[in-house]
Amino acid sequence: MTLYHFGNCIALIYVPYYLAYKNSGLPEYGAFWKCIQAGFCYMFTQLAKMLILATFFPDNVSDLGSDLIGEFLKSTVDLADLVGLYIVLASIPGKGHSKVLTAGIGWATAEVILSRALLLWVGARGAEFDWIYIQKCLESNIFLIQHIVTATLIWLWSRHDLKSNIRTAVTLLLVLTSYKSLLLDLLLTGMGASAWFGLFIKAFVTMVYGFFTLMIYAGLAQVIGIF
Amino acid sequence: MWLEEFDEIFKGFLPYYLLIVLPIFIIVSPVNPVASSSEFPAFRMQHYDLHGIAHGCRSAGINLEAKSLTGWSTPRHCVLTKLKDLTVDNFRNIKLKAGALLIMLPENISNLNVEEQHHLLLLENAMVVQEVSIPVYFAKYSSQLEIIISEVTDNLDTNDMSKSAAEALFNSIAANGYQIVVSSSSLGIKTDAKVASIHGHLPGHSTDGKIPTIAIVAHYDSFGAAPELSYGADSNGSGVIILLELVRLFSSLYTEKGRNTHGKYNIVFLLSGGGKINYQGSKKWLEDQLDSLDGSIIQEVSYVMCLDTLASNESIYMHVSKPPKEGSASSSFYKELKTTAAELYPSVTVEGVHKKINLADDILGWEHERFSIRRLPAFTLSSLKNHKDLRKSTIMDTKEGLDIDRLVINTKLIAEALARHIYGVTNGSVLGLSVDVNRKYIETWVNYLCSQPRSPQLLSDKDNALIAVLKDNFNKYLREVKVTNAVPDKRDPDFQFYQVTSGTVNVYSVKPAVFDLILTIAIVLYLGAIYLFIERFSILYSLACTLTVNRKIKSQ
Repeated sequence: MTLYHFGNCIALIYVPYYLAYKNSGLPEYGAFWKCIQAGFCYMFTQLAKMLILATFFPDNVSDLGSDLIGEFLKSTVDLADLVGLYIVLASIPGKGHSKVLTAGIGWATAEVILSRALLLWVGARGAEFDWIYIQKCLESNIFLIQHIVTATLIWLWSRHDLKSNIRTAVTLLLVLTSYKSLLLDLLLTGMGASAWFGLFIKAFVTMVYGFFTLMIYAGLAQVIGIF
Repeated sequence: MWLEEFDEIFKGFLPYYLLIVLPIFIIVSPVNPVASSSEFPAFRMQHYDLHGIAHGCRSAGINLEAKSLTGWSTPRHCVLTKLKDLTVDNFRNIKLKAGALLIMLPENISNLNVEEQHHLLLLENAMVVQEVSIPVYFAKYSSQLEIIISEVTDNLDTNDMSKSAAEALFNSIAANGYQIVVSSSSLGIKTDAKVASIHGHLPGHSTDGKIPTIAIVAHYDSFGAAPELSYGADSNGSGVIILLELVRLFSSLYTEKGRNTHGKYNIVFLLSGGGKINYQGSKKWLEDQLDSLDGSIIQEVSYVMCLDTLASNESIYMHVSKPPKEGSASSSFYKELKTTAAELYPSVTVEGVHKKINLADDILGWEHERFSIRRLPAFTLSSLKNHKDLRKSTIMDTKEGLDIDRLVINTKLIAEALARHIYGVTNGSVLGLSVDVNRKYIETWVNYLCSQPRSPQLLSDKDNALIAVLKDNFNKYLREVKVTNAVPDKRDPDFQFYQVTSGTVNVYSVKPAVFDLILTIAIVLYLGAIYLFIERFSILYSLACTLTVNRKIKSQ
């Protein structure tokens, strides 16, 4: 709408990232460069994913639901994100929670800058008002939680001292991460839900996801004695 | 070692670098690539000067808030309305006090009832007759625009007492507003404007030397409230089509070998331009013909027959500025026309109308007056009785509203009467089996002429396609085809056209400024909640710890 509206959107999208970084104690670890490295790793992973998508799925302009198998396979490519996050985690020294938070926040920040900044600059600054920009900003906040959760799950998965039954659960959750957006989109289009309701559902699902992960993490953390 | 240095540089400088490069990259990207959600083609109102008098709207750019017909109040509002809701009084008021006007045309403009037609004719006349300082645009019907108009109309009642205070407050904060933007370049005068007239002739044949001449004239341009909406099917498409059909018929009669059908008259055909701007084309052509040193055949003319708007009524009127003398060629043509009509189509009435030329008035009523001023015997054939009939200049005059049957009948009548007059046949028809009016040919021309607006300013370019087609058609049938261009005088121009005739209307949905403030407050509250959540995360964590501990105890 105006530059002011653009400012609103920027505040809505980036302040939670800043707060998460500042209040999680990461600055004390000097994790800033590590975050940026995670961001570079994100870019590299996306590039690799794009190459794969462009090679094997040349026409990715179809409506949701028209080509379910194609959509499914495309979501499968998102498993590459997990590999990327794994590499990031492996390259960060340190204890569990700082490692996980650094990787998650760095990764999510890179995504939010690369995928949202241009959209907002182009869209939210224009004369036309549209709720979609506010919605995108809120969605990015959800992604922040999602990426931290994913990083945690990968960290848990890479531990050797995890019980086998919990390990299965973690693996299941990890695989589901890739397909979560597809499944949610399918569900929401099936229900014919409005954008706001869809946003609420996404937030809710991510919260539940996050809580499960937190429980598992807390259980392990108490066993191995880290905070 | 240098590898380490390189690594150092990479670590030390590259991100800073990016911090500068990326914003620059974003800033230099196209500033306004966002397309508005609603874009409509729009046609600007007439804008021209005639004899130094300004007509039509004088500006083009709009960047104003949309308001309904009843809701606007200041020059910062653009009035958005449907054509049928706009009255002449409304228009006069808007013209003086509003910022701009955007009118949506009805869905089917040729399919209005009589009352609506009458209203529209009056409105169009009121719009064009004087100059309008605000930009006025016409947009074609679209359901999207219809929705926007109804929303704008509903939103206006913030002072409405029937609503509750909370509702009114909410409305004033969150109501959808619309910003109407038409970006346009500056309005320049068309410097190379010209009005082309095309003429050609069929030479007659006679044994006793002197051959009289008949001139047949029709102006080919059209007029309406907006240049790009003036299709002019009847005025003066019908005249042009009849003229083209006469060209075809008489050229085949004049050139047919073996039969004695070569007429005793030269026939000059003239398709004149600028008929709607006081017959500039025929004025220029006549000046050229009469003032040229080598005598033109027009000087020997028996009569000049002008064709104007010939498909709107069941009758044909012969307009003259001086009643023709008994025994003159035009009076005998009049008689032929009358008897032909009585013989072939008794329902068609033929009447003579006499109107003196008002020399005090700058604007001539009919095209024949251009010729009568120069003392040439002339008359206009038209289905309209009055030269002030508003049907001569309206955007409702489209192909859908054209009565082709009547056009064919009138063509047949005029062709037959002219043939009888030329060949001196007093009883029995000339046109018949082998040479006759061809309905297919007429329909083809109707389709072609009505497929594009023919406002004089649109046809004033160099190498206009329509003029080229008409000229080619003349070349096919006639001799010595020439194009005469009327160019306005540099110092004291008779007519001037302006450049912008159409544009794109962007309608942006916007929110009031207060809405942004409210949004900021909401965002700050939300961010505060997030801050608290992150700050107090340890509570959630210890909760999770207790839960897992409990479970572990249970499982043990």
